[in-house]
Amino acid sequence: MTETQRTETRGTDVDLARAKIKKYLQDLAAALGSLPKEQSNDIVEELRSHIVEKSAANFNVNDDMNGTMTPASVDAVLAGLGAPESLARLYVADDLQIRALKSRSPVLIIRTLFRWASLSFAGFSALVASIIGYSLSLSLIICGLLRPIHPRTAGLFRIPDGANDYSVSLRLGFTGLPPGSHDLLGLWIIPIGVMAGLGLFLLTSLFALWSIRRLRRATPALSRRDEGDAEVSR
Amino acid sequence: MAMAQTLGQAGVGSDSGDKWEVQVRKGSLELAILAVLWPGRLYGLEILRRLADSSALIVPEGTVYPLLNRLKTEGLLTSEWVEADAGHPRKYYKLTSSGRRRAMQMAAFWSAFSANLEGLLAPLMPETKPNAAARTAGRRNADD
Repeated sequence: MTETQRTETRGTDVDLARAKIKKYLQDLAAALGSLPKEQSNDIVEELRSHIVEKSAANFNVNDDMNGTMTPASVDAVLAGLGAPESLARLYVADDLQIRALKSRSPVLIIRTLFRWASLSFAGFSALVASIIGYSLSLSLIICGLLRPIHPRTAGLFRIPDGANDYSVSLRLGFTGLPPGSHDLLGLWIIPIGVMAGLGLFLLTSLFALWSIRRLRRATPALSRRDEGDAEVSR
Repeated sequence: MAMAQTLGQAGVGSDSGDKWEVQVRKGSLELAILAVLWPGRLYGLEILRRLADSSALIVPEGTVYPLLNRLKTEGLLTSEWVEADAGHPRKYYKLTSSGRRRAMQMAAFWSAFSANLEGLLAPLMPETKPNAAARTAGRRNADD
């Protein structure tokens, strides 16, 4: 704080400090948007209580507050909490994880992994793997179901790819096949596609839930923070 | 499926790139919070103060509040708002019975684990054993 700031009236300082707190909590509330309203209010109020109490000068844990907050003391406390967006991310990702683990719904699992993907490489890998797993399993199921409707073009085909090369392709039958394609499974695609699809769906869910648990254990409270915060913890 | 497994493992492996000390602190933070709440209810700032005073667990405040929230969602803690003379209400946390059980399990695991590890580490330590014991005792007194 500079000398000019110090000579300003105390009232202005307190107003400025209050404005900083208000701005921080508004940003936090906005970033907590996906949580239920009641829960996000509770979080905001708890942090308001923390900021107000801690930024009061001469803070003593045994006394009630006997100091006044200043813009500088508020800044220091806010810096300790980190940016509102990253703080909110910890809450939201935590919340999603718990709900995903409880519900096992693929939508919630993918949403949870999306959160993780932005926080760590492990989360990103798990997200990519789960998306691949779910889409392959759905494709297998859909392919099996579409076979009776597209009897000639839906199924697992070996398709010529260049002169002596072949590739194996799962076709849903909406487009025609290149000449020389060979149907690998015939009608067996119906039971095999559906069964393998369901199995893969289940395996993907198990893998994703295992990853979420694993990610939680690796980083309690999702403490993957920016470098500045990591310094504080040392 | 094979790809899913490989990717998953690659992802988990990348965690070990983090600083080991930071990982240890993170891993023990949950137990430390449960332990700090063992004697009775406390609000966030008190929890932070006790953690800072009684251990080397100087943790970013931004990680403790979300962790408290999670422990509550998991049913290990309950919370209540209490009006304080200070003019703003405080949110107090308290262990639930399953929180107490969990804290005891974690404490038992921790002490067994660290006892085992200490045996392994003895040859690595420069000081002789009696000295180390005296230092630990001294530290314990200083905490009181």
